[in-house]
Amino acid sequence: MVDVSDEPGEPALEEVFYPTERVPFVEWQQFSGAKPTVVLTGVTTLLAFVTGMSNLSQPTVTVDGPLTAVVTVPAGFTQFAGVLFAFVLGLVTVGLQRRKRLAWRVAMLVLPTLALLPLATLQTTDVPLLVLLVLTVPSLVWNREAFDQSVDLSPLQIAALAAMVGVGLYGVVGAYALRNQFLELDTWSDAVYYVIVTIATVGYGDITPATMQARWFSLSIILFGTGAFTVAVGALVGPLIESRMATAFGIMTAAELTLFEDHVVVLGYGDVTASLLKELGAETDVVVVTDDPDTAAAITSDDVSVLTEDPTDEDVLMDASVDTARGVVVGSNDDAKDVLAVIAAKNVAPNVRVVAAATEEKHVDKFDSVGADEVINPRTIGGRLLGQSVLGESASLSDTDGIGPERSTGRESGNTGN
Amino acid sequence: MATSADGSVQRVVAGVLAPLCVVSGAIVLSGFFFPAFVGEAVSGAAWLGLSLLFFSSGLGYLAVLPHRSDDVQSADRYLLKVRQTNMRTAIQTFLAGQDPLTLGLPVVVFALFFGLQVVAPSRTSAAVDAATGTVLRTGGPLFLLAVFLAVCYCLFLLLGPWGDITLGSADTDPTYTYPTYFTLVFTAGIAAGLVFWGPAEALFHYGDPPPYFGASPQSAAAVGDALVYSLFHWGISAWSAYVVIGVPIAYFVFERGAPLRVSTILAPFLGVDGLDSRWSRLVDTLAVFATIGGIATSVALVSQQFLAGISFQWEVVVGPTGPLLFVGGLTVIFVLSAVTGIHRGIRRIAGLNVVLFGLFALLLVGVGPRSFIVEQGTRALGRYIVHFVPLSLYTGGEWVANWTVWNWSWWFSWAPFAGLFIAALSRGRRVRTVVFTSVVATAAATVVWFLLLGGTSLFVQQTGRANVLGAIASSSASEAVAGFALFASLPLGRLLSFLFLALIVVFMTTSADTSTLVVSLLSTRRGQVPSTGSVVFWGVFQGAVATAVLLVGGAGTLQALAVLTGGPFAVISVVAVGGLTLTWYRHERGHTSVLRRWLDRLPTIQTHHDVEPPDEK
Repeated sequence: MVDVSDEPGEPALEEVFYPTERVPFVEWQQFSGAKPTVVLTGVTTLLAFVTGMSNLSQPTVTVDGPLTAVVTVPAGFTQFAGVLFAFVLGLVTVGLQRRKRLAWRVAMLVLPTLALLPLATLQTTDVPLLVLLVLTVPSLVWNREAFDQSVDLSPLQIAALAAMVGVGLYGVVGAYALRNQFLELDTWSDAVYYVIVTIATVGYGDITPATMQARWFSLSIILFGTGAFTVAVGALVGPLIESRMATAFGIMTAAELTLFEDHVVVLGYGDVTASLLKELGAETDVVVVTDDPDTAAAITSDDVSVLTEDPTDEDVLMDASVDTARGVVVGSNDDAKDVLAVIAAKNVAPNVRVVAAATEEKHVDKFDSVGADEVINPRTIGGRLLGQSVLGESASLSDTDGIGPERSTGRESGNTGN
Repeated sequence: MATSADGSVQRVVAGVLAPLCVVSGAIVLSGFFFPAFVGEAVSGAAWLGLSLLFFSSGLGYLAVLPHRSDDVQSADRYLLKVRQTNMRTAIQTFLAGQDPLTLGLPVVVFALFFGLQVVAPSRTSAAVDAATGTVLRTGGPLFLLAVFLAVCYCLFLLLGPWGDITLGSADTDPTYTYPTYFTLVFTAGIAAGLVFWGPAEALFHYGDPPPYFGASPQSAAAVGDALVYSLFHWGISAWSAYVVIGVPIAYFVFERGAPLRVSTILAPFLGVDGLDSRWSRLVDTLAVFATIGGIATSVALVSQQFLAGISFQWEVVVGPTGPLLFVGGLTVIFVLSAVTGIHRGIRRIAGLNVVLFGLFALLLVGVGPRSFIVEQGTRALGRYIVHFVPLSLYTGGEWVANWTVWNWSWWFSWAPFAGLFIAALSRGRRVRTVVFTSVVATAAATVVWFLLLGGTSLFVQQTGRANVLGAIASSSASEAVAGFALFASLPLGRLLSFLFLALIVVFMTTSADTSTLVVSLLSTRRGQVPSTGSVVFWGVFQGAVATAVLLVGGAGTLQALAVLTGGPFAVISVVAVGGLTLTWYRHERGHTSVLRRWLDRLPTIQTHHDVEPPDEK
């Protein structure tokens, strides 16, 4: 038996049928992560809306799905469920995008309930939604670990939300209790309707207080309700705008930074940083920590987040989630500051991989001694590449040992350099 | 096969396809979800065009999406290759890379055929039909024997000692994961015929029962017989024909360093170094001819049937240009798919194909007559196994010549390209796995399909819920309308019809892109990689032949011609089996069969109690 797998006799076979090492059916990593799950939920939201609108646009919705044999589905459900669920799911998708645990829980509740719609009608137009739900729910379950952020509400936000709920309860229960003193208010749903119309300052006027007591009651709802509503909107929306503006100015909030994982932290900004960011940009999330506001403002790439703080400060590195980072690059033009940054990074996360770029050759050893896992001297490498290039040797990066993973790199290259 | 120049072209194509897909998709989906508002504003023909545009641009976009390995690759190539912008140099390089015989002969023969068809249509058709009739009638026993031999040989490989042979060196891991492997083999080896004939074949046998069983037409007994025969025609026999071509090629390519060509099956007689001879080039040319004939006529037939089905169902008449546009669109997709390569276009569209196939089957299980299918299906399956040998050897009469022999020759005309494709994918796999995947697993999928669709259509016909046979008889497009008439009587019929149409397009694409790749491989000179130009040329050539078939109207005749080329490959398959057996008998001793291993696993019964066990101290 002749083994000919290495023989270059059949390039057609290799190139046409074996272009890569492995050809899987579906590249699971691409489709099974948390991000695709969020996208899937978003698409489900959109489809739920369209399906809901489609059902709403029909004069009658035929209801003869498998579910109807088990329970009777309310007539309004099939017409309105899609659109209403879509609005809830829209919020949920935003929450999932921020990896909120609460959003995940709501999604696990809402999505299976939404599946009742296509199961009840089983119209051709509803089946795509069902198929998508069958994909989305397992994907959410599979990625449940990724959605672990708690909802951090400030005391003001909690108070405002509690006040909203409290006023709502007070209004509904009170209005129902005083129903005899109102015109045309008879049931619980009338009470809910009245309270919402009042708080929203719409006031159709179809339900009106008839006695003085009822009027005082209504006034209290208006005052407390609109007040709580306004405060709640301010408390909830305000921080969003603040953080948006902060990002625009290169300052990130701690909450945003905790979202990073498996990212690369770049401490300091120097000559090599620009090409470094270009190299890393598409590959992974990058956080640059620099105390120079001008440099921070100059970094405009979307893939790079900037933290305008001192890179030698342990608290700042903690904020930049150095402990969950894939690696740290230290590479400003100031070697003294860089050494401090390496020490700070190792203090925060002893196990993180730290790569340092030594501006001057004589500092390579110092970086070694403070614990950098790898030290690279860009000038030495550049010089060696130039030398090899002019002699016509292969000048590809992999052939030079100048950036090999050894710590002796600097010393070795020092010898050849001279 | 992505050079940097191709890469930029593909980016442009992607840039055109993406907005096309989004816009047409938005319109089509709005029509789907809001039929009352949007549906009536657009005419039927426009809907058809938009839907096809949406679907095909989506498929095309799927094909040109980059693969993660391509960035590195194209950067390498950029340094090595000079961009070819000059048209003349491009053509010259294309011609320089082609084998003159395998390029010239099929082109000339097809041109000659269509020329004759235009000049003397009736005489050409009559001559070809007469030749086909003679071959199918007199050569019938040969086809039956060749297929039966192939099935027996596959069974032997599956259970016998040679199943243990690994294709390629022992430490080679298969590049294609098992699901990919199955998907590619399944979708390449079978085309839209599966979709059309699924609901139709059993009904045809129900209306005109096979003489082997001798039931009276449309009787209760004919139901089971019809199912058995449709399983027989699409079951393991069909796929065995591919394997007996594929396994020898794979063995000689991966173990002996032979070139990846159909003619490699002659290696035991000519030697690996003797594969440059005239005989082997003749075999390759014949393979090209059979493949193009088979695929192009399928494309033409499918496009006619697709539109005939639509005009039956929705009364949308598209006129004579409709099929031409359809073929053009289909050609664009399968060329794109073939050009982007096996790990991109071909794999992704094949994956989509299998997903749609599974989805359709699941839906049908949901809405179809389950108990009837299970009852009739298990009985048909049992009878298929029991009657397999007599059915395979039954030569009686016109009916068998029209159905069984016709099908067998059709499978053999597809065998060179499907076999070569199976061989190319099988590096690092054991022969047993290859046979199991390409015969047992694929046949299982088709068997389930035919039981589901055939069973449902028989149920509907027999209980009188719909007269599908009547619809077939009243329509000129015969089997094309069976599916629609059937789905109209089921819940979710509209969705089933849409999926059915999508499946037709996708199944045709997955076969045509593979055949394009294989033909360009065969026509390229030894030791060279088929260039993008070559793949595009052969893809477009197949499309052109399909167009010519539509224009000149020789579909039946060309199909008959393609089927005729199945004859030589029936003979070649027997030769291949013989050669492989000879080689393995000489060189591949010492493998253990599955049966032997099972026997070894049984507890050994001590018969010689008088022998003392050896002392172990």
